Amino acid sequence: MPKDESILRVLTAVPICDGHDSAINTINLEFIRNGIEVIYLGYHRSVRDIVRAAVQEDVRAVGISSYNGGHNEFFSQVARELHKEVGGEITVFGGGGGTITHDDERIMRRAGVDKIFFAGTPLEAIVRYVKQLRAPARGSRKRTAADSRGGKRSDRALSMALRNAKSVKVATRASAPTIGITGPGGAGKTTLIDELVLRFLQRHPTSRIAILSHDPSIASHGALLGDRATMIHSQDDRVFMRSLATRGRAGGLSPQTEPMLAAMKQMGFDLIILETVGTGQEAMPFAGGLVDTSLFVMSPEYGSKLQLQKIAMLDIADLVVVNKGDLAGAPRAAAEVTERLTMNHKNQKVYTTQAKQHRNVGVDRLYDTVLGSIRQGEPPRLQVTRKTRTSAK
Amino acid sequence: MGFLADIAQAVEKYNHGVEQQVKQVRGDAELGKQILAKWRQARAAVKTTRTPTGLELPRVALPNIDEPGEIARYLGEEGLPGEFPYLSSAYREMYLERDHHEGNGNSKAEEPMRLFAGLGLAEDTNKRFHYLTKHQKSVRLSTAFDGPTLYGLDSDDDGLLGKVGEGGVAIDTVDDMKRLYDGFDITADTSSVSMTINGPAPTILAMYVAAAKHRFGDGCVPKLRGTIQADVLKEVQAQNECLFGVEPSLRFLGDMVEYVTEKMPRFYPVSISGYHIAEAGSTPVQQAAYTLSNGFVYVDLWKHRGMNVDKFGPRLSFFFDSGLDIEYMALARVSRKIWAIGMRDCFAAGPKAQLFKLHTQTSGRSLIAAEFKNNLTRTAVELMLAYLNATNSCHSNSADEPFTTPGEEYVTLAAHAQNIILEESGLFKHMMNPLAGSPGMKAVERAVEAAILAEFREIDRLGGVLSAVEQRYQRAQIQQAAHRLETQIYDGTRPIIGLNRYASTNGHAEMDLVRTARQKQLFQVKRLKAWKKKHGKLAGRKLDELSGVVDKGGNVFAKLIDCVEHCSLGQITHRLREVVGPFRPVV
Repeated sequence: MPKDESILRVLTAVPICDGHDSAINTINLEFIRNGIEVIYLGYHRSVRDIVRAAVQEDVRAVGISSYNGGHNEFFSQVARELHKEVGGEITVFGGGGGTITHDDERIMRRAGVDKIFFAGTPLEAIVRYVKQLRAPARGSRKRTAADSRGGKRSDRALSMALRNAKSVKVATRASAPTIGITGPGGAGKTTLIDELVLRFLQRHPTSRIAILSHDPSIASHGALLGDRATMIHSQDDRVFMRSLATRGRAGGLSPQTEPMLAAMKQMGFDLIILETVGTGQEAMPFAGGLVDTSLFVMSPEYGSKLQLQKIAMLDIADLVVVNKGDLAGAPRAAAEVTERLTMNHKNQKVYTTQAKQHRNVGVDRLYDTVLGSIRQGEPPRLQVTRKTRTSAK
Repeated sequence: MGFLADIAQAVEKYNHGVEQQVKQVRGDAELGKQILAKWRQARAAVKTTRTPTGLELPRVALPNIDEPGEIARYLGEEGLPGEFPYLSSAYREMYLERDHHEGNGNSKAEEPMRLFAGLGLAEDTNKRFHYLTKHQKSVRLSTAFDGPTLYGLDSDDDGLLGKVGEGGVAIDTVDDMKRLYDGFDITADTSSVSMTINGPAPTILAMYVAAAKHRFGDGCVPKLRGTIQADVLKEVQAQNECLFGVEPSLRFLGDMVEYVTEKMPRFYPVSISGYHIAEAGSTPVQQAAYTLSNGFVYVDLWKHRGMNVDKFGPRLSFFFDSGLDIEYMALARVSRKIWAIGMRDCFAAGPKAQLFKLHTQTSGRSLIAAEFKNNLTRTAVELMLAYLNATNSCHSNSADEPFTTPGEEYVTLAAHAQNIILEESGLFKHMMNPLAGSPGMKAVERAVEAAILAEFREIDRLGGVLSAVEQRYQRAQIQQAAHRLETQIYDGTRPIIGLNRYASTNGHAEMDLVRTARQKQLFQVKRLKAWKKKHGKLAGRKLDELSGVVDKGGNVFAKLIDCVEHCSLGQITHRLREVVGPFRPVV
């Protein structure tokens, strides 16, 4: 594995009112095959979404692929807004096949766009261009106008603090409540988290959340970090999200997880959500008090009842969520899981949700159980934690 | 096993049945005699025609066979044009010139040409429509919308100004809709209006209906003729213009289809589209397999809703891409057969609901900016393939499309390419079946059919189309195919003339671009703001009523026709999103 500092992170997206993602999908694949970590924001994204994500994710560059026109305004605005936030630290590049002319390129370059790729550019030329962008020097930073406005809690300041985070020790004072969410791939963790975030934002009009999400690195060391594309409600100025690749670490987290989480806990967030990659039966990612509450999310399709015995997280999770409650097997699954947990004698709770459904009552109930006790203006605490669960017993 | 596997089985059963029949007529002299008599009758019914050079030809080319087994195989596998399983064509005579000597009974002689247009504000597109139809006997307007409209947003929403009127026309209100088709009698028999829009299709069609009522009175609704794309499933799989979750999107579409089926007998409320799947980089087989399977899902959903398949079935139409791969020789031919067998044998549909009626557009993806005049040739070849597949209507792309909304010069050339093929050349106007039944055509048909049925079974194994969508099967398959295609272009295994082969060294020619002027964009915003102010009081009430209908399970489309009188597209989308939730992308 290359050293953390030398791994390039770039953010890619397709502009607002544009769904042409064929080119960017192909480019993303090529990037990750060449060892680049791609935070993919998806299509139909606003300037603000792109800029916010780029700053929060501390990427080296932003790549935009456009086809529906209006690129001069859009690309230029991204470049200008990014410049306001981080000076010249994040490079903007992009393309739009034949829709972008050389005259357009001149307009966009004047606004700070570094490079436009024209129709017919080989994929390898784009990869070469990104690879020659050097990773930002550790500890380096320039003050920008946005810094002085947002102060210590600006996305930029938080991002810089995370870049320098080394210690894994957490001072207990004012540590933000942290929920860890894990479970097999395809169970709907990401959607469920986004729905919990939506409810939190609605009920706490000034609170801030941090999300630390994980996706797997592939053999070539690249990674496609695509959670932001699905987490539509979490693209919000009150949500600070950081996507991490596993970079060779087994068990669902990244080598950077502990120091970053430790730093995040001291940043004044009202809630932190930690999401692992899709995990196997044996995984127990939240060792050593990493989180206050652990949530195991599974789908009803786990196979036979015997398989449940093998899932290690079912022995230790504070809460278990059977998502995809619309599937025919959901009631049976909930009953079997409840039976399995009863044998643990640990007062663990089971919830059935259908996260993909708007205003799902199962998600409401889960929210009330876990986060219902957090009050505006009071020291934040979670309703179900290892401690409360043990004392209830 | 779901219905897709059933359909795959039904097609194979049909093929097997044909072979059985071949054996039967060979083994049974009486049956042999019957089929021979039927064949002779069919051949005798074929009229002859004379070409300008004096050559006499049959109007339908049929093979010169007289052995009962071969006849049974031909009638079963191919069928006569316009007859089950519709391999040759949905109708009997398609593009044939009307015979001057006799009144021809069943033939449908309609111009198949459609020209897609949309740019700037409603007035600009209206002007383009008048220019395009100047020399046409019938009014065929095909409408492209700009990005904000396609996403159900208003021109005055934050950060959209640069997108207003780009790539299509900006429509925010019912008044814009009136301006768009101003001067055209859209209630006339010879008029037909198509609208390429999906996520917000119910709101846009509601505006169309409301605008027509303003101009022609309430009685005009049954006379409106046209097509709206409204295919939300392919949006989730490829085109990415979804506004709401899959479930509510399908419900809104169902409401619209139900309304149109009952009250607008000349309108096609959904155009089940493979075009965007192919443009996203799929293989031709994926295009056909996903489109057909999406179509069957709609049929299944609406049957379960209590709608009559023989009533809504004939209102379904399809939309394919025509590219340069060899599969395109037979893609639509095979699709017609699979649709007909599936509808007849698995959904008990009558003949009218078995017809796979097809609009084709030449491939946009195949056009490139480098040495772009080569695009004229690409489009011409794709047009030939589309007409060999007996498409019911066709749009040809302009050569300048890789870099701009088409300018008038290339729009005219694209239109004339169709005129040259259908009117100037003798290939399609004298005789049906010019290449049908050839060994090459049959080989492609068999290979394509087997591959489509294999895809059906794979989707079925994943739990059906909707379940496969949730598992992002179609998206992943399309993305892989697209990546392979690009890699093949870059490594040269796919020659693209002027790009990776025979490229000139002259660099880029800069072209005249059609762009929307800033003051027009600002004008649209100003006009919209004034409209909203004028309707402000009633808008809120109408939106509340709309929410009520959504919550209570009433027909949302009927309510939308009322709402658009006082609410803009963006206001409606915003409200619906609050009630049913936004679309959550899968990438």
